[in-house]
Amino acid sequence: MNCKENQARYLQKDKQQKMKKILLLCSAAVMAMQVSAQDFKTVLTKTFTTFDTAQDQSVKVEQSNKMSLIAKKWDNEWAAHYYAAWSKTVLSFEEKDGDKRDAYLDEADKEKETMMSILKKETDETYVLAAMMANARLAVNPSSRWMKYGKVFSSNIESAQELNPGNPRMYYLQGMAKLHTPKAFGGGKKNAKPYFEKAETLFAKENSDDITKPYWGKQRNTQFLAECNKED
Amino acid sequence: MKRNISDRSLRSLLLLALLFGATGSYAQYKISGTVVNEKDKPVKGVNVYLDNTLDGGTTDSLGIFRFTTTEKGNQTIVASEVSHENAGMPIVITGDMSGIVLHMKSNKAHEMDAVVITAGSIEANDNNKTVLRPLDIVTTAGANADVVKAMETLPGTQQTGPDNGLFVRGGDANEAAILVDEIVVQNAFISGPPGVATRSRFGAFQFQGVSFSSGGYSAKYGQALSGILELNSTDLPDKSTVNLGINMAGVYASGTKKWKNSSFDVGANYNNLTPFYGLATTNFKFYKVPVGGGGNMRYAWKPNKDGILKISVNGSYMESGIAIPNSFSGIDTNSVINSNPFAKKFSDMGDTVNFVTKDQYYFTTVSYKQMWKAKYSLYTAASYSLDQTNNSFGTIPINETDHRGQFRIEGKDYFNNSVNLLVGTEMQAFGISKDYDTYFKQSFVETQVAGYAELEWTPVNRLAIRPGVRYEHSGLLNTDDVAPRISMAYKTGIHSQVSLASGIFYQDADNKYLLAGLKPGQQEAIHYIANWQYVKSDRTLRIEGYYKDYASLIRELYNVYDPNSYRFITDTTTVNNSGHGYAQGLELFWRDKKTVKNLDYWVSYSYINTKRLYENYPVSATPTYIADHNLNIVSKYFVEKWHTNFSATYSFATGRPYFNPNSAFLSDRTPAYNNVAVAVAYLHSFGKWFSVFYLSIDNITNQHNIFGYRYSYGANGLATGERTPIVPALYRTVFFGVNFSLTQFKKDEL
Repeated sequence: MNCKENQARYLQKDKQQKMKKILLLCSAAVMAMQVSAQDFKTVLTKTFTTFDTAQDQSVKVEQSNKMSLIAKKWDNEWAAHYYAAWSKTVLSFEEKDGDKRDAYLDEADKEKETMMSILKKETDETYVLAAMMANARLAVNPSSRWMKYGKVFSSNIESAQELNPGNPRMYYLQGMAKLHTPKAFGGGKKNAKPYFEKAETLFAKENSDDITKPYWGKQRNTQFLAECNKED
Repeated sequence: MKRNISDRSLRSLLLLALLFGATGSYAQYKISGTVVNEKDKPVKGVNVYLDNTLDGGTTDSLGIFRFTTTEKGNQTIVASEVSHENAGMPIVITGDMSGIVLHMKSNKAHEMDAVVITAGSIEANDNNKTVLRPLDIVTTAGANADVVKAMETLPGTQQTGPDNGLFVRGGDANEAAILVDEIVVQNAFISGPPGVATRSRFGAFQFQGVSFSSGGYSAKYGQALSGILELNSTDLPDKSTVNLGINMAGVYASGTKKWKNSSFDVGANYNNLTPFYGLATTNFKFYKVPVGGGGNMRYAWKPNKDGILKISVNGSYMESGIAIPNSFSGIDTNSVINSNPFAKKFSDMGDTVNFVTKDQYYFTTVSYKQMWKAKYSLYTAASYSLDQTNNSFGTIPINETDHRGQFRIEGKDYFNNSVNLLVGTEMQAFGISKDYDTYFKQSFVETQVAGYAELEWTPVNRLAIRPGVRYEHSGLLNTDDVAPRISMAYKTGIHSQVSLASGIFYQDADNKYLLAGLKPGQQEAIHYIANWQYVKSDRTLRIEGYYKDYASLIRELYNVYDPNSYRFITDTTTVNNSGHGYAQGLELFWRDKKTVKNLDYWVSYSYINTKRLYENYPVSATPTYIADHNLNIVSKYFVEKWHTNFSATYSFATGRPYFNPNSAFLSDRTPAYNNVAVAVAYLHSFGKWFSVFYLSIDNITNQHNIFGYRYSYGANGLATGERTPIVPALYRTVFFGVNFSLTQFKKDEL
């Protein structure tokens, strides 16, 4: 016996109360829609929070998998695809195997593409995401990829800056990029610190009550800033 | 989608049911099982879920997954993981389920590894995973940051010795073309005296990609029997920068100003090779060391996201003077081969002659590229170049002017993801005029028109086919030819593929014949190339085999062979297209950037068997620029802690044929060629200035490599006298310098 039959039987039961049912259905449909939207944000927020606070890599993989499911289910929500792409990018950074890192980013590319087809225009957050993904590609093989992806990174940062100079993630990403650039190439803690500091002040102004207005990065930024204050 | 919608409405109804208290009949079921790969090993981190639901779980390190669901009945369980192909199977949920086993195929070929046709070509850009990039070129010891020289570490090329140019798979230097942004570069090498190899005019960082084809190349190009070296100039720079440098060959400064959608570059250099020659072992007497300078400007503009316009102007001047051996010294001016009116003048000049070169070079191009909706693209470019050399051979002035104007326009239609068609046309007008004082004057002007079409077809993901056809017309020689080309690639596995290429290639006779007013027909080569390539995470293995068939090569009909490559060819020389030849070989390329962290090395080996009957060869023979076996081992190691890059290159080639009047034609071989080059680069930041200090030593063992022998002319007018070895201008060379660059730090960045 499957669900459909079950439902059919349920509906049959109510046959006599036709008028009542229609009324009920109408109001229920409205309610269901509201519930569904709220449901989406709740589910996504919960998944995001678990992912973001997880220390264990396997938990992150699990939550990222969940985000893929959320993106499949709420296919028309740009934010669902945004977080799916974002989480794959984070996983790419933390993965060791180069091929797998690229594979995560291929997934992220697909999610971002879907996101753009819904959004139809760029925002500061889409540029920031693009910059982050470029940085992740670069990180797979810095010596041979910096020429291409370094450019993609900085041009997206630039575009984000034009749309919203107050986006803290933009500075956080630049700080990260500096931190992971060898000192001889103008990177290192000393050069990264001002970016994290700038990001820190901007993160402080940001609130985290709506998952569809990305707020990730605050905690990490504080950590990296603390690291930059340590000796080289 | 259909299912999705019905499921959604279904779920709304379920919700309804929940709301009205009908919860009792909807239980939660426990679903569990394992995911394994084709070797029955567990796969961890797999997303296992019921399709179109949120119900799912992730596998642990034992490949075990567990989740609960409220779904019932017919469902599809799906397993997905980035480095595997998705797997799925239908299940019927009637209660708790355990022991489900899902099989996943590993090694999902991800998008970056789409099939690319590689027969005959080695790409050096970001589209391919393991190839040469600008940084690779500058860090190759022995290449001296010269793009063309770096290509000599790749399979299919010969060590050049005292000559300029790329000698590709049995072809002479003039049989390989060099292109910048699809524009033919005339006089790609700095002018110098005969017997002294000079640098190419290009620096590695002017280009974002370098693609070297040793055969079977695209229908876009023609007039090269061997292969082409394609250089693609950089697009809009990243940031505004200032660059300053000083080294043993001179000083230079350049600046780039970047605006939002455009940029302007300007650069100037002054060269004086006194310090360089001072530290080297020279085999020629430079009574006037090379001194010169140049300037360049470039403007790039992106009128929209998918279009770019580039305008560049380059100019340079170089002057040098050396004492070279006079091949004409003491010749019998009444002999058959040296009966030119001015030969007597040359023969009276003594054993060595002062040779002065003064060279002015201008090269300007304009190009525009536009893409529309990822469906159509247009590329057009125009260029003009002028090279004026004023040489003197002793007291005799020799002036030469080369000019070339060209235009190309091509459009590409991407019908869909698997089919695109390129159609284009190209026009070249070029000429050379040369005079030897008042003794005689030679000149020619050639106009070439070509049209081409090339289809790229990917019928299935693992197969790509690229047929093309090219039509060429020569105005000067009045010839019309149709050159079909085809290449294809098939992915035999996730990391491996085979490629095939073939085509017909035509080329005008060498300039020396055209200058003499001779008008023979087109020379022809047919290439057959097959390769197998294995690329996996920064390791590349390539094996390539080829056969080349030459026909209609130019032959001079002489009674006596004259080994002098600067022999005079005049309108009384008889030539025809009866020459022919072949070349076959096997090449191996191995590059590994993975095994040892920060170590990058490659090994290239080429074997060639070639013979040709051309120019003034009396019989078919292996040419003097061919070594049967060529080996290059290039290695680079970066020590992060010291911010220092070390590199070393070892090159080996077996002996080359040389002309010995006392034995069978070109049957003798020179000793083998050996060269070890090392280079060190140290990176350091002085505040905002990023600096690179570099030191390179070429031929560190001071090996006296010999590229052939020259026999002096005897009293009988034939080259049968004493022999002197042909050696490079320099043995061991030491080169060092420093480069400073400052990247603009935007105030609004923070």
